[in-house]
Amino acid sequence: MSDHHDHAAHGPITRTGELSPPSHSHEDHDHGQHESHGGLGQYLAVFAALCALTTMSFFTYSPLWPWRDQPHVGWAFMMAVSCTKAMLVVLFFMHVLWEANWKYVLTIPAAMMAIFLALMLVPDVGLRNRMVSQERALHMARPSDVKLMERAGEAQVLGEASAH
Amino acid sequence: MNLSAHSIPQGHDHHDSHGHSDDHGGGHGHLTLQYQPGLPLSKGKLIMWLFLSTEIMFFAALLGSYVVLRFGAPVWPKPHHVHLSEPIGAFNTFVLICSSVTIVLALEAARANKALQAKNWMLATLLLGSLFLGVKGYEYAAKFSHGIYPAQPHSLIYEKPDLYYGAAVRARLGEPAIIDRLKELDDTPEDKLSSEEASARRRLQKIRQMVMSPDQQPFDLAVVADQVMPLPSEGADGHGGHAEGLNDTFSWLRLPTVIPGGNMWASTYFLLTGFHAIHVAVGLLVFAILLTFRLDRKRAGMIENAGLYWHFVDLVWIFLFPLLYLF
Repeated sequence: MSDHHDHAAHGPITRTGELSPPSHSHEDHDHGQHESHGGLGQYLAVFAALCALTTMSFFTYSPLWPWRDQPHVGWAFMMAVSCTKAMLVVLFFMHVLWEANWKYVLTIPAAMMAIFLALMLVPDVGLRNRMVSQERALHMARPSDVKLMERAGEAQVLGEASAH
Repeated sequence: MNLSAHSIPQGHDHHDSHGHSDDHGGGHGHLTLQYQPGLPLSKGKLIMWLFLSTEIMFFAALLGSYVVLRFGAPVWPKPHHVHLSEPIGAFNTFVLICSSVTIVLALEAARANKALQAKNWMLATLLLGSLFLGVKGYEYAAKFSHGIYPAQPHSLIYEKPDLYYGAAVRARLGEPAIIDRLKELDDTPEDKLSSEEASARRRLQKIRQMVMSPDQQPFDLAVVADQVMPLPSEGADGHGGHAEGLNDTFSWLRLPTVIPGGNMWASTYFLLTGFHAIHVAVGLLVFAILLTFRLDRKRAGMIENAGLYWHFVDLVWIFLFPLLYLF
């Protein structure tokens, strides 16, 4: 989007750098903007796409999902779907698609900070169980505890079918 | 766009949309200086976007912590172990998406100066947001009823069926109020109980013996934990379903439960969804305030800013739903 358009989008600018109160030409232009982007049809199309994408990620939960034994496939799929949904909301509902270049100034540094923030947690938090004290190893839950619980559920030690 | 002053001939504004026409070089003779702001957007919108960029980092920190905690954990509960219902989560996602559409339609109506229509769309947004919070409250209540809280003393979650768990079950069974209720239950004639309750009573009597027994084996405590609140397995239909434990049959019992990894799960779940719910509640408050105005073209800026915030709240949920319910 050109500088020329940016200027036009906000009407006359006063000496102090304030945007001037809406003038006739400003309203006219706003009306033009209303026609040029958005519009009921487009919003409904985005809405339909969002619903379809939600159904797609929900599909990983259904028994028909072919990769039930490989959770990573489902995770990658769901994240891709979520990012697509986020893009649709940001671009169309938040009107970022039609904004001037300032959008990059505000969103890219924040997004980079966000990524670094998460990465910096990996060594101390993500890898916290690589080396643990013996005492902690003793008390923390392990996959074997889940197995133990499952076996207990199947064993019917009490000689009576519980509500499994 | 920069902060330098451009020299623009007077009258430029009126001819802007037609491009630079003849009077550009024409003989008006004098120039006025016009300053342009660094970012070509209104103050309110600029502040909202700055706020949203801090919000991006806020939720990125929370979601990032969740992801590293979850994937760094040796055990993480399956959604059914912690009584999460995927269809309810999906329904809430749908509700928020609908509310995003209604707020954007409210903005469009306000821009077209259709104040009544804008008000109706905003009211719809408010109702959908309230529905979301209502469903969230229902989900929270379901967690609380299973003793899933973020912290002691309300939380009943133990990480594994070890000696500490056995001690906690004994302590609960030894509480005077529970002793009275157990006595009452034991004295109830069999025909006054449903077959389910009668079976549950027999099982409860057996696990009471098991936790008190001096020659207790580790497996016994796993049986106790399984009876109190079973971890639903991935059944033939792939969904497990809700298996009934003693805590469900006798809601007053509230015996300690075992959910491996459940404590960290509860902390992250309540923190993430709690902060999200607070954001939803703030959004609803803003909508309620906006509803007191006449939502015509003059208010379009306010509606746009409120809408930006609301879409962001929707955006966070778009990531929360799969991460919490489907991973």
